[in-house]
Amino acid sequence: MVRHCRFLAFALLFGHGLVMAETDEDGFKRPLDQLKINPALDQREFERATLQALNVYDPWDSWNRRVYHFNYRFDEWVFLPVVRGYEFVTPRFVRSGVSNFFGNLGDVPNLLNSLLQFKGKRAMQTTGRLLINTTIGVAGLWDPATRMGLPKQREDFGQTLGFYGVPDGPYLVLPILGPSNLRDTGGLVVDFTAESQINFLNVSEVSSDHPEILGLRVIDQRYTTNFRYGQVNSPFEYEKVRYVYTRARELQIAE
Amino acid sequence: MPRLARFAALLGGLILSAPLLAQDIDPAGYGYPLENPFEATIATTPPELRPPLPTDEDIDQSDYSLKLRPEREFELPSNFWPVKTLRYRLARQDKPAPLIFIIAGTGAHYSNSTMEFLKKLFYGAGFHVVQLSSPSSWDFMAAASRFATPGLSTDDADDLYRVMQAVRAQHPKLPITEFYLTGYSLGGLHAAFVSQLDETRRSFNFKRVLLLNPPVNLYTSVTNLDRLVQTRVKGIDDDNTFYEVVLAKLTRYFQQRGYIDLNDALLYDFQQSRQRLSNEEMAMLIGTSFRFSSADIAFTSDLINRRGLITPTKYPIDEGTDLSPFFKRALQCDFDCYITEQLIPMWRARYDGGSLTQMVNQVSLYALEEYLKTSDKIAVMHNADDVILGPGDLGFLRRTLGDRLTLYPLGGHCGNLNYRVNTKAMLEYFRG
Repeated sequence: MVRHCRFLAFALLFGHGLVMAETDEDGFKRPLDQLKINPALDQREFERATLQALNVYDPWDSWNRRVYHFNYRFDEWVFLPVVRGYEFVTPRFVRSGVSNFFGNLGDVPNLLNSLLQFKGKRAMQTTGRLLINTTIGVAGLWDPATRMGLPKQREDFGQTLGFYGVPDGPYLVLPILGPSNLRDTGGLVVDFTAESQINFLNVSEVSSDHPEILGLRVIDQRYTTNFRYGQVNSPFEYEKVRYVYTRARELQIAE
Repeated sequence: MPRLARFAALLGGLILSAPLLAQDIDPAGYGYPLENPFEATIATTPPELRPPLPTDEDIDQSDYSLKLRPEREFELPSNFWPVKTLRYRLARQDKPAPLIFIIAGTGAHYSNSTMEFLKKLFYGAGFHVVQLSSPSSWDFMAAASRFATPGLSTDDADDLYRVMQAVRAQHPKLPITEFYLTGYSLGGLHAAFVSQLDETRRSFNFKRVLLLNPPVNLYTSVTNLDRLVQTRVKGIDDDNTFYEVVLAKLTRYFQQRGYIDLNDALLYDFQQSRQRLSNEEMAMLIGTSFRFSSADIAFTSDLINRRGLITPTKYPIDEGTDLSPFFKRALQCDFDCYITEQLIPMWRARYDGGSLTQMVNQVSLYALEEYLKTSDKIAVMHNADDVILGPGDLGFLRRTLGDRLTLYPLGGHCGNLNYRVNTKAMLEYFRG
């Protein structure tokens, strides 16, 4: 019954504003007839919008493309096989524990950058996450905070710089790390330095003696990233990734 | 009395000889929640109405590659290295089982979300599953297509058939009981042509073939898709392009929500917010995604065949070459442009072809009318509000397939493939 009501709610919400299309004798609803279409069919909006979207400042294009191809090969031949091995030898709860643990460490820069952008509510929530996950979640191995309604909210120093109006600079493809730009690469360095200075849960200090911790972190990073090279399946994947990265960063900074 | 008997015989004969009617699914009992065909096409089915599926960890699967066109190693520029061999994905059961081939839609990769969904559905039902990229996709054109000019359905089916045979040969120990075939969108049309080819080549003897939302008249479909980017969207002016209008809505939506959380439910929530997209905007989005496909096809076909329309024939290309100038040129080419500039000239040169109408008749489902009428193993599932259809297309399917056509009242283009009612019908069809 409850499910039925949900159906009904869905139908009402989605149905409104739409004239019920009448069907012809074959039962065809002619969905295109509902659209306001430019009668001359000479609107060049797709072309105009896409050409403009291709204008991403990319003076190091040639180098970037070579790094992109290097990353693609590295991903195919090293990264993904290692991730598959990792998936093979560890049960799922171990992997989610690892992801949560490093995710909890990542909440430290999230908190700092929220504060730097005067996002008070977000800073409070991230503080709450850190407290709950570090204590009840046993040093971050579990993530009870998300279940309690405190979702993870990423903020990095690149976003903070963007918040203060620093332009993103040339597009840059980093070896192994992937798409970035000059501003965000600087932000990455700052976040990394801050993390090793703060040395939360002693992880940074221990990592310097045990590089395998850093290795695990890198594997976990790849494990949790859904992107696969080639899935866009286009000769212009480089251009598409570049656009999506640039726009996604703008969205993250605006939000 | 004899007159009555004669009348009864006549009546009986009429009833029996009347064509079987398509299975029209009653809108009242169907329960699919999205009444807007554009919304259905983009968002597909709400997560809670999808069927239960096995997770990736429960599936024994790997990607394999085939070297079908070794000469392309030397013909293609070095930045094409990922597509010099054809990749595909095979999910295997641990016991003898039927195998199903799935063919992707326009420009689509074997591992896109619809393909992964269909794989999980059929794997969960006990099939070995092979996922194949569309003959209109970049990787297939470069690695497996003889002429690399997709659109001639018989040629595309021939290429696909060779791929399927090579897949079979690569796994000689896989215990297969029977072969099945399916495809969605353009892949559905290909499945029909492959099935016909199999009647003479007999490598697989497909037991059942299911076409999901196939184009009927290929030219109608591509014309519809080309038209979708001609909708009038409010808010576009000299300073704001279409993308900026949509992204501004998305930004406002996230700002109102307070945080970014990308998941399956996002699209529904977004469409219920004040920032919801209009029909014209959604149509433009769908059209945009197909325009990117047509740009890829135009660029790749031109480059492989050295036609010089987009890329100059002797232009040196390596991994560091900026492809943007060619992307910009290819973007101007919609399906109609690709057909006029590349497909028809190639068809005329190679097959002594005639007019556009002749070609359209050869590459559309019309060419298979007799075959579809007589082959009981082929069925079609389609939607009454599919955006790739034109007037008369459903009439053709009704006449040709009779009760082997299942017509759903809603779903847009492929939006209801992952709706529980549809998946149940799909599995039931294959189980027989």
